[in-house]
Amino acid sequence: MLIDLLALAVGAGFIGAISGLGGGVFIVPALVIAAHMPMKVAVGASLISVVATSAGASVAFVRDGWTNLKVAMVLECATVTGAVIGAYLAGVVPAVVLELLFAAMMLQSAYFTVTKRGDDILTKGDPLAERLELSGEVPDLSGNLVHYEVVKVPQGGALMVVAGLMSGLLGIGSGALKVMAMDYIMHLPLKVSSATSNFMIGVTAGAGALVFLARGDVATTIAAPVAIGVTAGALAGSRVLPHLKVESLRTVFVIILLLIAAEMGWRALTGI
Amino acid sequence: MSKQDEDRILREWTPILLRSILIAAMVLLGAGLVLTYTFAPDYYVERYQAAQHGHLIGKEKFGLLLDRVRQGNPHAVLTIGLFVLTLVPLARVAFCFILFIRERDYTYVALTAYVLAGLIVGGLLGSVG
Repeated sequence: MLIDLLALAVGAGFIGAISGLGGGVFIVPALVIAAHMPMKVAVGASLISVVATSAGASVAFVRDGWTNLKVAMVLECATVTGAVIGAYLAGVVPAVVLELLFAAMMLQSAYFTVTKRGDDILTKGDPLAERLELSGEVPDLSGNLVHYEVVKVPQGGALMVVAGLMSGLLGIGSGALKVMAMDYIMHLPLKVSSATSNFMIGVTAGAGALVFLARGDVATTIAAPVAIGVTAGALAGSRVLPHLKVESLRTVFVIILLLIAAEMGWRALTGI
Repeated sequence: MSKQDEDRILREWTPILLRSILIAAMVLLGAGLVLTYTFAPDYYVERYQAAQHGHLIGKEKFGLLLDRVRQGNPHAVLTIGLFVLTLVPLARVAFCFILFIRERDYTYVALTAYVLAGLIVGGLLGSVG
């Protein structure tokens, strides 16, 4: 049992890291479908493991300057609000609703993976972003620093509340939603959006995890090996990532996400 | 302190903080699992099967957990390990909050205070909910 759980978690962490979607997206269905855990147990264990993977990956991203710390701090106000409400509701929302929502989030992640686009860097930010000093610099392909500005903070924040809500309800980092908010709406460069999203996920999942832990809704014997396994898998994934042609794996990720969405949707609708 | 100094401190110290707490939590969780698997393998199977049926231990008193950690109780070590893990974001936001107070950057003091309050409210909501 322990070895099976560790293996599942290492696999979920590994795929989560190389797909850029995070371990939660894969560990929740792995626990529900393969380990026959109830949705609530899977969500609690996943939230805690997501805190660990976020911290592990953020060490390098923050040190190397990819994370926009001020954007993270501003948007965390929105995600933490959503996450606390979501985690509180997770205790009362029926499992069937959670499974359907999970399937919907998988479809959103698949859509995001297919429609990822290039950077659209702005040289003029809006007044609120300027007042909050959210602009930053990012190296281009030749290593020269490119200055970028940020726009539409309130709109990005509104989507972050939804991302936090989904995170607290479903035990995932909602990385795909967060990156979409920063990349599509606020015009941050994609790599900065990914690193900043990863950094914020720690607080979002942490807020949800605290609700679950304080309520006694975490199965420690499940959450502990999952946290260790997902962290180890994510670490291995991030080491392998530079040597992989991730673009060619995109179709595989989309197929996996669609299969998970179908399986979770089917379970919810048939009550299996 | 200039904006550059503030940024440098954040970039230097945030990774150290994240890594230190993460390692401490992983050591506790690893130790808890080794203790469980070595001294209470039946307990592990029992809790695993209970979790499959949605039966959880429920709320536990923090003081009692710490006492049990001192006695080497595997379940208590695992639970404290999970709590330490959730301290990662809390400690990181608290660190930023203190830095912004020193910097007198009151906009960010207010923003980080809100996030800190959200995390604390999360814990309180869970304990009363």
